[in-house]
Amino acid sequence: MVNLTVDDKQIAVERDATIYDAAKAAGIRIPILCHDKKLHPFGGCRMCLVEVEQMKGRLIPACTTPVSEGMIVRTMTDEIIKARKLVLELLLLKHPLDCPVCDAAGDCDLQNLTYEYKVDANNFTDEKFHWEIDYDNPLIERDQNRCIHCGKCARICDEIVSYGAYSFVNRGIEAKIGTPFDGKLDCEYCGSCISVCPVGALIAKPFKFKARWWALNKVKSVCSYCGTGCQLTLGVKDDKVLTTIYDEDQGFHNGQLCGRGRFGYQFVNSDERLTTPLVRKNGTLQPVGWDEALELISTKLQEARKNDPSAVAALATPRLTNEELFLFRKLFKDVVGTDSIDHSAGYAHEALTAGLKESFGITASPSQIVDIQKSDLLLVIKTDAYETHPVIGFEINLGVKRKGVDLRIISDKTGKLAKLPKAVNYLHKPGCELLLVNALAKVIVDENLAAESAAAITGLDAYKGMLAGVDLNQVAAVTGVSLESIRELATAYAKAEKALILLPIGLGYPGHGKELAQALSNLALLAGKIGQEGSGLLVLGEKNNSQGAADLAIHPTAGGRDAAAIIDGCASGAVKILYIAGENPVVAYPDRAKVEKALDNAGFVVVLDLFLTDSAKRADVVLPVKSFAEKCGTFTSVGRHVQRIRKAIKAVGESRSDREVLADIIARLTGEGVAADSATLFKQIGCYSGVNYDALGDAGAIYPVNVSPKFVPVVGSVPATEEGKYALLTGSALYHCGTMSLSGVGPMLVCPEQYIELGRVDAGKLGVNDGDRLKVRSASGELSLAVKVGLRMPEGVVFSPYHFADASINSITSGKSVTWVSLSK
Amino acid sequence: MIVPLIKGLQITLKHLFKKPITLMYPEEKPDVAPNFRGLHALKVSHNKAKCVACYLCPTVCPAKCITVEAGEDANHDKYAAKYEIDMLRCIFCGYCVEACPVDALGMTQTFELANYKRSDFVFTKERLLEKK
Ligand code: SF4
Ligand code: SF4
Ligand code: SF4
Ligand code: SF4
Ligand code: SF4
Ligand code: FES
Repeated sequence: MVNLTVDDKQIAVERDATIYDAAKAAGIRIPILCHDKKLHPFGGCRMCLVEVEQMKGRLIPACTTPVSEGMIVRTMTDEIIKARKLVLELLLLKHPLDCPVCDAAGDCDLQNLTYEYKVDANNFTDEKFHWEIDYDNPLIERDQNRCIHCGKCARICDEIVSYGAYSFVNRGIEAKIGTPFDGKLDCEYCGSCISVCPVGALIAKPFKFKARWWALNKVKSVCSYCGTGCQLTLGVKDDKVLTTIYDEDQGFHNGQLCGRGRFGYQFVNSDERLTTPLVRKNGTLQPVGWDEALELISTKLQEARKNDPSAVAALATPRLTNEELFLFRKLFKDVVGTDSIDHSAGYAHEALTAGLKESFGITASPSQIVDIQKSDLLLVIKTDAYETHPVIGFEINLGVKRKGVDLRIISDKTGKLAKLPKAVNYLHKPGCELLLVNALAKVIVDENLAAESAAAITGLDAYKGMLAGVDLNQVAAVTGVSLESIRELATAYAKAEKALILLPIGLGYPGHGKELAQALSNLALLAGKIGQEGSGLLVLGEKNNSQGAADLAIHPTAGGRDAAAIIDGCASGAVKILYIAGENPVVAYPDRAKVEKALDNAGFVVVLDLFLTDSAKRADVVLPVKSFAEKCGTFTSVGRHVQRIRKAIKAVGESRSDREVLADIIARLTGEGVAADSATLFKQIGCYSGVNYDALGDAGAIYPVNVSPKFVPVVGSVPATEEGKYALLTGSALYHCGTMSLSGVGPMLVCPEQYIELGRVDAGKLGVNDGDRLKVRSASGELSLAVKVGLRMPEGVVFSPYHFADASINSITSGKSVTWVSLSK
Repeated sequence: MIVPLIKGLQITLKHLFKKPITLMYPEEKPDVAPNFRGLHALKVSHNKAKCVACYLCPTVCPAKCITVEAGEDANHDKYAAKYEIDMLRCIFCGYCVEACPVDALGMTQTFELANYKRSDFVFTKERLLEKK
């Protein structure tokens, strides 16, 4: 600790603090323009000038100067005020006084400081800038005339996002922030640069001119896209969510979001939202009152409850709140009496619900997101972890670049993560993850690197026995990863003091199921990596509440049908009533044709959704439900983080929340009312008994777990290959999450349609370029898709995301981790 | 006793021959001071409203009677796609005029604002545009 005096206040701060940090800790505000707590000090704007007794004679920048013992700092003297005024005058010299039409006004650091320092005249004169304004970009409007050259946009895009879209170009007064060769900006569209820009040089296009910053009601909530669980502030006016607002003090991510979270909010007030319940009459869906629709559903369920509960099945999206999932389970398991409920667990979440359940005795990861930066070595399964959970990707970037975390990736493609400094990507043939993981374990056993703690865990002998059968040479030959690489990775992993494994899961990653999760659990247990900070296994659930759905056991637990069996059951007639809360099986589940047929065949299908999805179109009753912005409740994100969402706007149309609907149906079936408020429901959720709802506040809480580890040997098998065909992998596109982002507007502006991504070599062989179309044929169907040529895909391997409803990739895939396809023009 | 009576009559007679103060409204109209705060007018320059939809007037308005909705024109500039003042709520304080950073709003001498329907008191942008 270092002791110093700031404005007569004695303070002690950490050795590596700057004067700015010290003043902040003492509650003294020093004005800044180019400084940001997330970024390396820059010292470009000179707004933060202060006086230090020991360095009399000149003013020094507080944001870059480290503290030293006995420093005496003054932050506000006449001389300082004069200097700051001069800084502002010089900035305003070429700055257009656009405030009336500038979206930053009200939230603009330059405007606020100009006002604070009463700069109402300028001692200098000069011409204003005349840079061309970029109006064409779909999401980010750049007006370099308003730029004050703080460099924050370029720095955040480089330091945290690791994309590097901008840099300073030209020199002196001609300097500006530019893209490479002053070309178009076509980046990740995370919007981080917009959020840190202190002025109105970068603005969010979808929000342009929509409202003034001061007129917005700011509602704190949680992003409803992926499992990262980023905290979000919604900007609301007249019962409409108009934008998302940056708050640098929110969450582990300091307010940073990915493109989906930042630009994907427009589904909330979309004109396409369903507004009234619909019931199929004479073949078409017709608007009815709530009472009629609910009575119809209740009557059907009541009949089935008496006669044949097993003919009832229900699917819930892991986007519902915990409270809703709790009522969902209660209605179907307790009241109706069917075990056939699922949250696409069979397809997407069995790593948690089955894998970790067996290996650790819990349905959640033992580790947390904050462990990423505390780790020494990260073992990431697939570079796709960045695309599925971009803000967790930022944490990985920061870990690698700032904390020197050793990043190792086992992946079937290269990608952004693989390009990080010193990252090593063990590129393998598609579908070989399990083989590789077991090979790593084998090396650890063979080279006596296993942790002592492993000996006390049940099942070690059986596990070792299984590993004895692993033939490393064969694994190397099949996976395409050399024996030395396997040895080197295994040794590095075992020897790292703290090592963390990241496994993204989701509907696009059928291979990341129970077995892979268990193989990874085994590996972590063997190397003694479970149970300490910065180490362990973090399974990244796909959706905002995937973790909650796993915790609340929204899957069959007593021999009922899982999602796949429910679809089969509908097709065979065994399932007569299907209740679908928010899922869109037609687009998201494997084998579209089969799902469509199943839904058509099921006797009575109820769909609750925000939109008339392809699945809803096939339903007998469609109920309009509220989005996350219209209700209260909790989500559980990756790393067991329970957080509250808050109601920001009134319900759209007549929509009701799933919670209200479920409570209503339960009341109709049982004749007894049930409490439907989030607080009461949350307190009834057994697995969250360790969390105090009333104390959740803005930060949320991480619920405690007890790991009871066990080795569960899983044998890898050599994946089948087909000569002369391409291996088609599915997964998540960076700009999308599930099928909801299709209505998010922002994501669709930058990634509008289904595409097939291939490497340069294959594109050359097929003679196609970006934007051309290719016929993709698999055993189950054929699609014509737009081509995207990139550097990610190795030869013979192609990729296609799963989000899109038109030409949905599930028309040609059937739930295997690799689909073999032939490509032709 | 008679003296005060005569004095009183004197005053009456004096006033009888003075110019009357009463205005025979509506036949006669008053002279309205130039800085009178009557009906608003949106000033026009280069054939379009000067208003840039900065939302300062609705922000400052104590009666909350101004509604502005900004739009983007073909040159990507901001303009008031909607500008409305509800005269039933307006208290004619003139704060809006004072707040306007581009001198786009003024108040005219028009004070005859009576009307038959409530909706007629909502002045749309077209009705507010300065008549030249
Ligand atoms: S950037 Fe700030 S100071 Fe500049 S025009 Fe916009 S609001 Fe005004
Ligand atoms: S949106 Fe994100 S990726 Fe794009 S330039 Fe800004 S910070 Fe970089
Ligand atoms: S665009 Fe904004 S963030 Fe980037 S340098 Fe200019 S003022 Fe700073
Ligand atoms: S989609 Fe995921 S990573 Fe992106 S902002 Fe939302 S929670 Fe964060
Ligand atoms: S203050 Fe002036 S420019 Fe701004 S909205 Fe009102 S009239 Fe228009
Ligand atoms: S904030 Fe310190 S120099 Fe810019």
